[in-house]
Amino acid sequence: MIQLQNITKNYDITKREQVIALDRVSLSIKEGQCVVLKGASGSGKSSVLSLIAGLSKPTSGSVMVDGKNIAKLSDNFASKFRLENIGFVFQRYNLIPSLDVYHNIITPLVPLNLTDEEIQKRVQRVLSLFHIESKRDIKVKNLSGGEQQRVAIARAYINNPKIILADEPTANLDKKLSLEFIEIIERLKEEGSTIVIATHDPLFFGLECVDCEIELQNGKRV
Amino acid sequence: MWKKIINLHLVEYAIAALLRQKSKTVFIVTIFVSLISLLLSFFFIVNSIKYELSLTEDTLPQIILQNQKMGRVSDIDTALVDDLLQLEGVTDVQARVWGYYYFSNQDIYFTLVGIDSFENIYKKGFTLFRDSDELEKDVIYIGDGVEKLFSKSYYKDFFNFVTPDLKVVKLNIAGVFKAENRLESNDVIVMSKANARKVFGLDDEKATDIALWIANPKEIDTIAQKLKQLYPTYKVITHDDIVLGYEKLFNYKSGVFLVLFIVTLFTFFMIIYEKMSGMSSQERKEVGILKAIGWSIDDIIKEKFYEAWLVAFFSYLLGVVIAFFYVYILNAPFLRNIFLDSNDYAQQFELPFIVDLQTLFLVFFLSVPLYLASVIIPAWRVATLDADEVMR
Repeated sequence: MIQLQNITKNYDITKREQVIALDRVSLSIKEGQCVVLKGASGSGKSSVLSLIAGLSKPTSGSVMVDGKNIAKLSDNFASKFRLENIGFVFQRYNLIPSLDVYHNIITPLVPLNLTDEEIQKRVQRVLSLFHIESKRDIKVKNLSGGEQQRVAIARAYINNPKIILADEPTANLDKKLSLEFIEIIERLKEEGSTIVIATHDPLFFGLECVDCEIELQNGKRV
Repeated sequence: MWKKIINLHLVEYAIAALLRQKSKTVFIVTIFVSLISLLLSFFFIVNSIKYELSLTEDTLPQIILQNQKMGRVSDIDTALVDDLLQLEGVTDVQARVWGYYYFSNQDIYFTLVGIDSFENIYKKGFTLFRDSDELEKDVIYIGDGVEKLFSKSYYKDFFNFVTPDLKVVKLNIAGVFKAENRLESNDVIVMSKANARKVFGLDDEKATDIALWIANPKEIDTIAQKLKQLYPTYKVITHDDIVLGYEKLFNYKSGVFLVLFIVTLFTFFMIIYEKMSGMSSQERKEVGILKAIGWSIDDIIKEKFYEAWLVAFFSYLLGVVIAFFYVYILNAPFLRNIFLDSNDYAQQFELPFIVDLQTLFLVFFLSVPLYLASVIIPAWRVATLDADEVMR
């Protein structure tokens, strides 16, 4: 399903200075698998997620998702690909604080111009799936960290994506809420989603639902 | 069908985005509305005054002959009228008696016009005389502005004019006229020529100037030339000279004002551009999030377009309404004094309601598309960056 082949990713710091985020990394993830990318901060985990989502392009190598080379998609096609295939859960949730839960969740649906009935149907499904029905009209800035996390997951899942990418999803959560998140991940895996989690949280290591752990160190696969 | 063309969810998102940044939105709308309303008020006033001036032009004589002494206009001999009537092409000649009368109570000048009942010079403009014979009696007809100033000094039924040799000429106020051209007639007092001569201390065989009407307007210049040869010491003014004089003064004032406005408008867009191009880190991050969750560059630009369009169009409409209200209901206080004399007449003169679609379109195209560009271009620049770079 996901194949990274000999990926190198450099970021320009200045015109003359570059940092190597990924150095000839290859990996393969099958459909329906849950994979944990582990490693210290700056090891290149987030860069891998960005490449899989088509948010950035590799300096060299190829990123194949469902047989498509994501790295070669134009910006608009990459957006369409994300809209249809990817649900992204960010480290700091990246919700719009002044909007309520409902409007945050439907943000990915806006470009699709769906009917109101279809939107309601989808929203109801994710609100119920992640147990946040009662929070629907509350502004997210007034929610707890765990609740915000669930809203972020609901937003990522609203389009029923094949792949869920989560970047340090428990970095801002306590242990109880982190365990709740893991339960959600298990549920999503049962629903058939392919899940890639970038984390250095030990809670994820050795989990039953995790099919594979990939360790990165200084941009290289260990 | 239209729901497919316009994505209402995107419009809804744009409205929510504007409401999220209330203070910024209010700031931009306030500046935008102020500028649109000021610019439109300026154009509305200009159009109204131009309309009034065009009415004035119609009532002007085709040639005016003035006597001069020491470079100043002096009284002219009425005996010349018969000689001038002999000139080929001249259809009518009138010795006009008119001038300014200083009203010390209000520190203001009235325009006194003497007319005879048989004259048709002013009839075109002043159509509301009840009975022209009444002018032969000791009465005056006054313009709107004069009436208001008279009543301030408690002159309701009559007015006492003081002649240069300090005699008092008491004339009854027979009525108020509302002439077609209010700009010109507002400060006018009409009386018989005999009374006007008394007030000005002018001899019976003297007049202020002589007005000539020509059968064929194409011959005006030729006849003017002939008059200059016949009366080399007299000043000959043609209809075009008078109109040009009005326009020169008026265009100068409006030109200076327009330049000031263009500079202001340009500054406004520089501020807006500066504000928008330096999109806040929060806004840049939002663009990055939207891209990350699947919005395309087109979607982001469309959303920004709706945001900008809502602000610009709402501000434009509000600006138009305010300008209409300010100019035609409130009669443009303060701003009108830039174009009109800042005396009490000008304040009492009501600007005629003239709707010029060209002006509305001009201001629209001068402001709205520029604002749209100043919002969309920076948003496009951010949207074309890699999303992870924007969020970093």
